[in-house]
Amino acid sequence: MSELALRIHGLRKAFPKVVAVAGVDLEVARGEVFGLLGPNGAGKTTTLEMIEGLTVPDAGEIEILGQSWKRDGQQIRARIGVQLQSTSLFNKITVREALDLYGTYYPKARSTAELLDLVQLNDKAEAYHITLSGGQQQRLALALALVNDPELVFLDEPTTGLDPQARRGLWDVVRRMKAEGRTVLLTTHYMDEAEALCDRLAIMDHGQVIASGTPASLIAQLAIPSVVELTFDGAAPDPAAFSARLGETVEHRSDLWEIPTRDPKGLLPRILEIAEAAGVPYQQIHIRRATLEDVFLHQTGRSLRD
Amino acid sequence: MVMMIWRQFVMEWKLYSRDRMAMFWTFAFPVAMLLGFGVIFRGGGGPKLSIVYVEPAAPSPRDAALLKAMDEVQLKVMPLAPAEAEARWGRGETAAEVLADGEGYRLRLNSYLMAQGGAAAGLVNQAWLMAQARLNGAPEPKRIPVSVESPGGRKASNYAAFLLPGLLGLNLMSIGLFSVGMVNVSYREKGKFRRLAVTPLPKWIFLLGQVLQRLTISLAQALVLMTVGWLAFGIQNQGSYLDLLVVMVFGTACFMSFGFALSSFAETSESYAAIANLLFFPLMLLSGVYFTLDSAPRWLQHAVTALPLSPFLTTLRAVFNDGSGLAGHGLALAIVGAWALGAFLLAVRRFRWA
Repeated sequence: MSELALRIHGLRKAFPKVVAVAGVDLEVARGEVFGLLGPNGAGKTTTLEMIEGLTVPDAGEIEILGQSWKRDGQQIRARIGVQLQSTSLFNKITVREALDLYGTYYPKARSTAELLDLVQLNDKAEAYHITLSGGQQQRLALALALVNDPELVFLDEPTTGLDPQARRGLWDVVRRMKAEGRTVLLTTHYMDEAEALCDRLAIMDHGQVIASGTPASLIAQLAIPSVVELTFDGAAPDPAAFSARLGETVEHRSDLWEIPTRDPKGLLPRILEIAEAAGVPYQQIHIRRATLEDVFLHQTGRSLRD
Repeated sequence: MVMMIWRQFVMEWKLYSRDRMAMFWTFAFPVAMLLGFGVIFRGGGGPKLSIVYVEPAAPSPRDAALLKAMDEVQLKVMPLAPAEAEARWGRGETAAEVLADGEGYRLRLNSYLMAQGGAAAGLVNQAWLMAQARLNGAPEPKRIPVSVESPGGRKASNYAAFLLPGLLGLNLMSIGLFSVGMVNVSYREKGKFRRLAVTPLPKWIFLLGQVLQRLTISLAQALVLMTVGWLAFGIQNQGSYLDLLVVMVFGTACFMSFGFALSSFAETSESYAAIANLLFFPLMLLSGVYFTLDSAPRWLQHAVTALPLSPFLTTLRAVFNDGSGLAGHGLALAIVGAWALGAFLLAVRRFRWA
């Protein structure tokens, strides 16, 4: 049995107006939670849909659990679980009926009771799909992706649009998948989510992988491991003059300044001194370690949510 | 395999029965149409035509004779004072009015409502001829006797019996265009097919479950309409039930394939609804669902026989109302069958899941 859950090589897909995926290579080991990060339009979803067999690639190879779509399509479908970006079910199907029905599509299925427990939808088992909240619908979609006890699970932006509490709940489910030995490939544009969940990740932009590795290694690769942040009450003023006096780059965000640095301890007294002298009306100042968000910013020059 | 199809079929029925709008259009609406029109046209003819009679200041024997004769020719006479009659005319509610004019009368017809006004004017003239004959002391005029029969000579059925097969056909068309075509466009648009596509369920099983469910709906619908027709108006199938089933199967196959084929031409539910309605309403009005096209131009009458609904209804009425066999309706069935086959092939060629 192959040690790789997924191996893709030279994957390409062009649509009439845009090249969505421009040559992607990925390897995901069994038992790993792998994150595909990138802003909207980076090609994450198209990549995922080619891997899931929904979109036919223009070029490239996809090997899933040692099998290929050309020869073993039905077997692959039985072994993978998929949560699409928006799972559309029938409006008036109940949660229990949906889980029962989808279970019948597979050679082996987990019990509905077990799945309801897993995603904590027991009290909504008899509710129609259309009456569920966004978070509940996502949890149902997750349960449907697990209905066949899959070896490899694909989650396309599983927490988009959820409130913080619902996101934590979903994270717990993903962690349980990993504990059960499943391989998970998820896309997200939340950096904290990728850091919290993923063993390894790849950052995509303009249809290509621009960086990959463990979250820690990606951050370590960044030359500037810390960031000093000055927050303001309302819009942050133009930092040009301040930056010139300090002799460091100051990034201007909407309501804060960010000063990336290798030596936060040495820099902090100077920042305080100059800010005092220039009468900069900041509210708070703190030092944080660089995050994946900074990695992305550094690699692409733009923010993930742009 | 059979089990999988059965499960899809049962789930489709559950979902359908929970959709109140679909249930209304499928069952309540056709029954309401049948009962409504059946009662309005119960006598076999249209409702009584009405005429406004402008009352003269001093009624003469001539006026009395006309009023009596108008009553005899089944006109609904509304006597109004001149001012009231003028106000009613001004509001556009009057189709025809008759008023004294010198030695005789004058008829005033509303140009918008010539179908009713013209017919009423004919009856007023007939009444006036009778009244004149009586006033002149001539022998009582004789009328031409009228007999009402069904075209097949089987039974003197009423309008409800004409309407019932029309509604059966309309239902099949609406199931095909909307319950099949519209539903599949929305499944594609909302990504329901995509969710199915990542499971090992063969897609044809999903579609077959859907088609079988729609078949049983149309059957259930036909049974409900026929039962209501029988209980309310005593309408019964005059032909063989096997022939009836054959005709219904041809129609169902035709309109379901039609829905599948058409659904492949629209990206969104909105654009599909526009296309479907564009076909639905002309076909409904031109194919003899509610009335025949006697007064339409000849070319139009010929043209609609090449479209699927008209030959289907002709055959269905021949079997259901007149007890005819299928032997004489080969061409009509062939036209319906050709549409079914053409639409089916087009659907197979063009149908897309995403």
